[in-house]
This record gives sequence, C-alpha cells and structure tokens, in this order.
Amino acid sequence: MSDQQKPRVPIKAGFFTVPDDPAAAPKFLGTRCESCGEHFFPRRAICAKCLSEKTSEVEMEGRGTLFSYTFVHLPLFGSTNMAHMDGYGVGQIDLPEGPRIQAPLAGKQAEFKIGQQLKAELDVLRQDDSGRDVVIFRFRPVEAAR
Amino acid sequence: MKNVAVLGVGMYRFGMYTDVTNGTMAREAGMMALRDAGLTFKDVNAAYTGHIFASVMSGVRVMKEFGLTGIPIQRIENASATGSAAFREACLAVEAGHYDVVMVLGFDKMTTMIQQSTGGTAPENMEDAILPAAFFALWATRRMHERDMKPEHLARIAAKNFNNGALNPMAQRQAKEHVTVEKVLGSRMVAWPLTAMMSCPIGDGAACAIVGRADLAKKLNPGRPVVKVIASALQSEKYAPGHLFQGPVVGPFQMSIDSSNQVYEEAGIGPEDLDLVQVHDAFAIEELEYYELLGLCKRGEAEACIERGDFELGGRVPFSTDGGLISRGHPGGPTGLAQIWETTLQLRAEADKRQVEKARTGMCHMMGGGSVCVIHLLQRG
Repeated sequence: MSDQQKPRVPIKAGFFTVPDDPAAAPKFLGTRCESCGEHFFPRRAICAKCLSEKTSEVEMEGRGTLFSYTFVHLPLFGSTNMAHMDGYGVGQIDLPEGPRIQAPLAGKQAEFKIGQQLKAELDVLRQDDSGRDVVIFRFRPVEAAR
Repeated sequence: MKNVAVLGVGMYRFGMYTDVTNGTMAREAGMMALRDAGLTFKDVNAAYTGHIFASVMSGVRVMKEFGLTGIPIQRIENASATGSAAFREACLAVEAGHYDVVMVLGFDKMTTMIQQSTGGTAPENMEDAILPAAFFALWATRRMHERDMKPEHLARIAAKNFNNGALNPMAQRQAKEHVTVEKVLGSRMVAWPLTAMMSCPIGDGAACAIVGRADLAKKLNPGRPVVKVIASALQSEKYAPGHLFQGPVVGPFQMSIDSSNQVYEEAGIGPEDLDLVQVHDAFAIEELEYYELLGLCKRGEAEACIERGDFELGGRVPFSTDGGLISRGHPGGPTGLAQIWETTLQLRAEADKRQVEKARTGMCHMMGGGSVCVIHLLQRG
C-alpha cells in the first residue's frame, strides 16, 4: 500500500491539481474562452473554436460521464505499482463543462458502462528520485467508489 | 488533377530485418520502381522522402544510394500518412508543371526505433498510457454500444485481410493456411475487444512510386494501361464539440467524410464508381468505420455489408486487397506508398491471384496521427 503521508507530485505539472487532502478529488486545469464560452482541456492560449485570444485559466471538477472504454491487457505505461501489472482500463470521459478527455480508468472491465458517472482520483505510478509519490489521475465509476 | 500519372512502383517487402539498413531497402524499392517505369535515376527531377523514425539527414543521405545528381530532395513527415503526404507533394509539383518526373520514396525501421526506446520506463506524461490499440478499442466499444457490432465483425475483417495478404508476395504476415474468424478471436487480447490479429504489426520496409506527367506514361510503356492520379486531398482536424486534444489520436470521423467528398468532387465521380479501396486499417475497427465514412455503405450498414462479404475479393468493392496494414504491414513512412503500389498493379491488371476484375478506379485512404487524413484517387486512363 502506498504511504499517503509521502509528498505527492503530478507526473507532469499544469494538467491537474494534487490536493493536500488525500481523499479529495483532483481538479483539471483547463481553459475557458471569454469570447465564445467554450471550455478546453488541456490548457491553451487561443480558442480552438472561435480563435479568440481572450482565454482564461479555469479549474474543472474531477468528474464526468463515460463515453467509451476499453481494458488494455498490458502493464500501465511507466508504472512500477504492482496493482497496475495486470492491465488497466482506458476511457473517454465527457466533463460537465464540455471537454472530452482520455484517461486511465480505475476498476475492472465489468464495472465500466457507457453513460455512467465517474469521479477522478489520484493514483501512485512510482516514486521519484526524492522519494515522492508520482501521481496520475484515473476515473472510477461512482457506484463502485469506496 | 489532370496531368499526373504513376509511372512506376516498387517495394521492399515489409518485415523484421535486423541486418538490413534503410539505405538498402530504399535502394531496392527505388530501383524496382525506376525499372518498372522504364527510367533511370538521371531522369528524376526531384525527390520527396517519407520516413518517421529515421534520424535527421536520413532523407538526403539515403537518396545518395541512387547517385549524386544535385536534384532537390525534401523530407515529408505526417505520421502514418507520411508516404501518402509525400506522394501528394509530388503530384502537386508535377501538376503545377515544376517537374516531369519525381521519385517518392518511403522507408522506415520500426525495429530500430523500438531498440532505442526507453522501454516504457520514463514516460513524460499521461498521454503515453493511451496506446493506439486502446484509442481504437474506444471506437469499437462505442460502436458496440450504438450499433449491432460484435467482435465477430472485426474478426471477419481481419481474417479477410490476412487471406488477401496470403495472395501478396510483398505482405509481411503471410498465413500458411486459411485464417478463420475463430482464429482471429482466439488470438491474444490487446485492448478489449481488439485482439493481436485485429491489429497491424510493427515492421521495417520501403516503397517507392515514380510520379510524372501523364503523357510520359504512354511513351515509356506503350503496351501498358496508364494509371492516372485524378484527385488528391489532405485535411487536418476541424474543431467540433467533444474534440480530443490528448493522446496519439486520429481525428474526428468527419475528416474522412470531408476528404472523400473532396476527392469525389474533384474527380467528378462518386463512391459507386470505385472498384477497390485501400484504407488505414491499423486496427480492424477502423476499416469498418471507413466503409461508411468513405461512402461505400450507408451509416449503420457496415455490419450487414460485412456479413454479405461486400468488401472481400470477389465482393462489391474489395478493401485492403493486398492485406492492408494488418497483413501487408505498416512500417510507417512507406505504408501509404504500398497502397499506391497495390492500386497501380490492380489498375494495370497485374495483381495476379488477388486481381479485382475490370478494376478501373481505386481509392487510397490514410490517416496520420496528430492528425491528418490523406486520400488519392487513381484511375486507369
């Protein structure tokens, strides 16, 4: 089991928050276009829809609806976590603000259903050279969440 | 496009070659294409090289294999669509009157690329978790949710492509016996519902097309049908709600619809005029969706068409006649040019046991990650 007291760092800065509370869901660092209102993830400077440069950074809640899923029968890329060795789910998730994102799923294939509600959580991929936990986000079906 | 023809084609069979260099594979494919055209390298006015994994300078260095004549050489890269995109630049240059004869040369060594990779121990970001197989499996799961598709439909496409590949001496994966739906379904699960046999292999290889003025084709080979390039389209992504910005993805379905409509309009024909089609069947679910997106059947009818055998050799419009990416292989840079090789042979009635009867018009469709869609229409003149 991972030690939740260890400092946690995101695998790459600028994509999601790592809350101090280990039980709190991460938030997504996105962009809102001030001209047309479209939301984007990841962040971008120019609106892909209306090409406006008037964009602002927003945080989006770590939840969404499952659009599609699969289960990959390979160890999770870059992970040294034994829980990831037997494969992992991958989904396309529609965030309430609009963006569709792709991310690993937490849970077994039989737990995934298109249209179900999902909640984001952080998961330890490995430790870095300073002994900190390197975390990614995954989405877990809400009904299966503990 | 009115004045462009494929003058010659050549290939170095796709496969896993630890001891063969890009230079050797490219030279053999290129010399085969020149001989096929009835030309020598002295006749070539310009070259476009297509390679994804080869290092900086590889294009001009590999071209030295043919001799040093001072011609302009340009590298074109567009992921899986690299060879197709290089072919397009050659066609545009000939059509515009800049050159009479252009060599388009694709080569790659995925085996070397994999030896040099980190083995997955140091990914920079989460996008690396979305493997191409996973990305296309997401298409398949969604299709099963919306339509009557079952894994058996995907297995039937893959089995067809393996069996077509067995008729192509240049195919990388050549099945020794007839491949059944059950065999495809029973192969290793990669990303549900895609199995290993529903997925293209990695490989090495080279392919070459000599593109030139259409009037030269008849002069060079008087007894042979002229294969003209009658339309070319390349499109990148257009934004629509639900657009995916992450991962090694190919873009929205709309790209294939719009690009095919563009070539149909340019050539003044419709999907009903096609005799054979090559597509980016890196995974069997792709070929299924392209049946509909390229207009070869109505939306929602792909499953019924598969059950009828519409897209098999001898069917209404054969797809992936050379085995497609799944069987013929997909080294990267040369893949799109292998489609040109196959379509050219088919339109000249030189495709031997996999010949499509009375083939007059063929489509070559490629997707390149990032992403782009590239489509060419070839027609016997």
